Amino acid sequence: MSILQGKRKRQDLASALSASMTNEERVIYNIIRGKKEMGIWQGDIKRETNIPDSMLKKSIKLLISKTLIKEVVNIQNKSKKVLMAMEFEPSKEITGGEWYTEGRLDTGLIDALSDVCLKLITRKKVATRDAILEWTRTLGSEVFPGGVSSGQVEQILKVLVMENKIQEVNSTGFGDFSSVPAGEVCFRLAKKVGTNVKVGAMASIPCGVCPRITFCTPNGIISPTTCQYYQKWLDF
Amino acid sequence: MVTQFGIKLAVHLITNHFGNLVAVILSLSRLSDLFCIGIDIEVLCVQKVCENLFSHGVLTLDQLVRYSELTKDQVKNSLLVLVQHNCCQAFVSAPEDDDDGADRLRVRTQYLVLFDNIIHRLRFPKFLETVSRKLDEECVELLDGLLRDGRLTLKQMVDRASQGKGKCFMMHLIENAVDTKVVREILSKLLTARLVERCPAPEPVVSTSFKETTTRKRGAKAAKIFEPPETLEQRVVEAAVPGDAIRFSFTADMKSKVDRETNSDDDEIASVQENDEKEEEILWRANFEEFIRHLRHKALIENIRTQHDDGTATVLSAVLEATKTVEKKVKMENSVPLSLDTITAEVMKTDTGRTMTIDRIRASLSQLGCSQRMIVDDAYSIDLKKIIERAQNEEVESIVLKRYGRDAYRMFRLLSKDGCFHDTDQIAASTLVEKKEAPKLLYRLWKDNYLYMEKVVATGVKQITILMWKVNKPLLWEHVLDEMYHAALNLSLRMAFEQEKDEELLNVPKDKLKEPGPLQKKYKRLLNVWLLLGSSLTKLDEALMLFHDF
Repeated sequence: MSILQGKRKRQDLASALSASMTNEERVIYNIIRGKKEMGIWQGDIKRETNIPDSMLKKSIKLLISKTLIKEVVNIQNKSKKVLMAMEFEPSKEITGGEWYTEGRLDTGLIDALSDVCLKLITRKKVATRDAILEWTRTLGSEVFPGGVSSGQVEQILKVLVMENKIQEVNSTGFGDFSSVPAGEVCFRLAKKVGTNVKVGAMASIPCGVCPRITFCTPNGIISPTTCQYYQKWLDF
Repeated sequence: MVTQFGIKLAVHLITNHFGNLVAVILSLSRLSDLFCIGIDIEVLCVQKVCENLFSHGVLTLDQLVRYSELTKDQVKNSLLVLVQHNCCQAFVSAPEDDDDGADRLRVRTQYLVLFDNIIHRLRFPKFLETVSRKLDEECVELLDGLLRDGRLTLKQMVDRASQGKGKCFMMHLIENAVDTKVVREILSKLLTARLVERCPAPEPVVSTSFKETTTRKRGAKAAKIFEPPETLEQRVVEAAVPGDAIRFSFTADMKSKVDRETNSDDDEIASVQENDEKEEEILWRANFEEFIRHLRHKALIENIRTQHDDGTATVLSAVLEATKTVEKKVKMENSVPLSLDTITAEVMKTDTGRTMTIDRIRASLSQLGCSQRMIVDDAYSIDLKKIIERAQNEEVESIVLKRYGRDAYRMFRLLSKDGCFHDTDQIAASTLVEKKEAPKLLYRLWKDNYLYMEKVVATGVKQITILMWKVNKPLLWEHVLDEMYHAALNLSLRMAFEQEKDEELLNVPKDKLKEPGPLQKKYKRLLNVWLLLGSSLTKLDEALMLFHDF
């Protein structure tokens, strides 16, 4: 009953507003509203409606001031702001997903959540996915005012695995794994605490990171005997 | 997998060790992709040889002399040096089916450059260290002789040992002559450990045709380049089985041993003498294959130690030690299956494994990837290839991290792990990389051959080009290996350059170098430079083995 009433109220409001709109405004508003959560770029409205530029801009300004539409930053092209009816939330394609705020990757949130996950795994040595989720849920409200979804935690765990900071392993039930039943999937630190990150043999010499290695020949302009990187490396 | 810089490094090593003359011969092998230098004993059929050259990449002596601008004798001597140091293998090509009568009678000696054996020259210190850890100092000295001189008979080894002692004590040579028995004993220790072997047949007959199979081991290796590796590996294994008995045996003639039992006493004495004489003529050399197997095992164990723990490393070490004599080749993909009881017994034999319980061993085996099925069958086999692949991945990933940064590292690891195509947006979303940054990084990786890319055109309302990215491991591994050979060559060249630059320091008396001043400073710098370059080359060589030999 209440839903029906709500719908009727909105319809009344829309009809009241639509009565106060000019023809152009109504056309523009209907186009924007028709695009739902995808929104539409001002240039595309102009192409569809053929309304003169000055009139279009003026109408859009008015619609924004009446809080009927809003401007949303488009992740694909930040200069092309998208117009959207007030009742819709921008889609993932527009915002870039839950990791993006105002068209930018929220590195602060990513780092903070990574830190929390890593700290828990370091403390417990081995932690299951459920334990990490539970931990972030209880702690989440304090550290993350906006809250974090279980999907976000899952993705952070995947990224940490990609970064080789943690490993996804099956529990053996022994030693560090004693708290987790054998065979269950769990996470642990990829490097033992206190050990340095292993640098590969190539990565630890100048040639391994040299951007000019393809131009380097024994007697060429770039050669190991004239190499500047070698000079710096062997400067004792 | 022989790459461009691999050949350059091999030529450099040979130039360094034997001088320009031999290196010219070796570098000529670059003229043919197949690494074959051919010498036709009969110069009659030059035309025929030319045809061979085009189809099989074989050079005649005349061509070799012409390209190298050396005399025939020089070329021959250089080849002898290469053969002596096990860098070259001669073989006689078997007559082909379509050869006519004259062709069938002709002896065609060809020379195959053994690329691996040349690169192994980088690893001699590692081989010596292996012997020093497994056996004793006497064995190290004997092996050192073998590595320095390539091939030695027992008599030559005795002479060498005697000379060494003579030098040590500054006394007369004859007074310090080492008994043959002593050297024989040391050699037999190395033989039991399979670290030394008999030299292969000097000129085995080998078919160079594409389809035919050969029975000789070296021949199989020689034909490796023509055939897909699987069949050739099988061929090598088949050929190696009957050879094993002779390969590590001291007895000169197996037949005489059998005869001795039936003959009279006089005959026996005569045959023993004869046998001893024959024994002294046998040529011995270091068994590189066994050394590489040992180094591979070491690398496997150390990788498991860093990935898991000491207990798991102990279990793997015990399994590998127990099965090493049964391993048919170096690049074993899985360890030879063993029952839990055998593994437990082997683990208990080791110092570190004595405290381990069966449950602990079982847990370690499960960490090593042993499946439920193996537990049911009680035949545990460890996936060794996976451990090697992991180490290879880590090496390449560490290059990506250092060269392109953390974001690229994440994206590369995602693609490397999944092994399939992903589009740009998908990669950016999964690795949490800024959507605008992702294409730039991917492009840089692609430009440097670290990624493989394909364009897909999607036709809908608009025509969109989607870029799909992938890590193409076989291609990338070859590229990385080539870069590594390049880096090893550079390190080696820089070492030579530094030595040349500060050559005068080596002639300065040591007392003067101890006095503080610019000379001492310069000397200390040179020592540091050598230490850094030398240790880097040793470390890089381990990575080379990881990609080429393991």
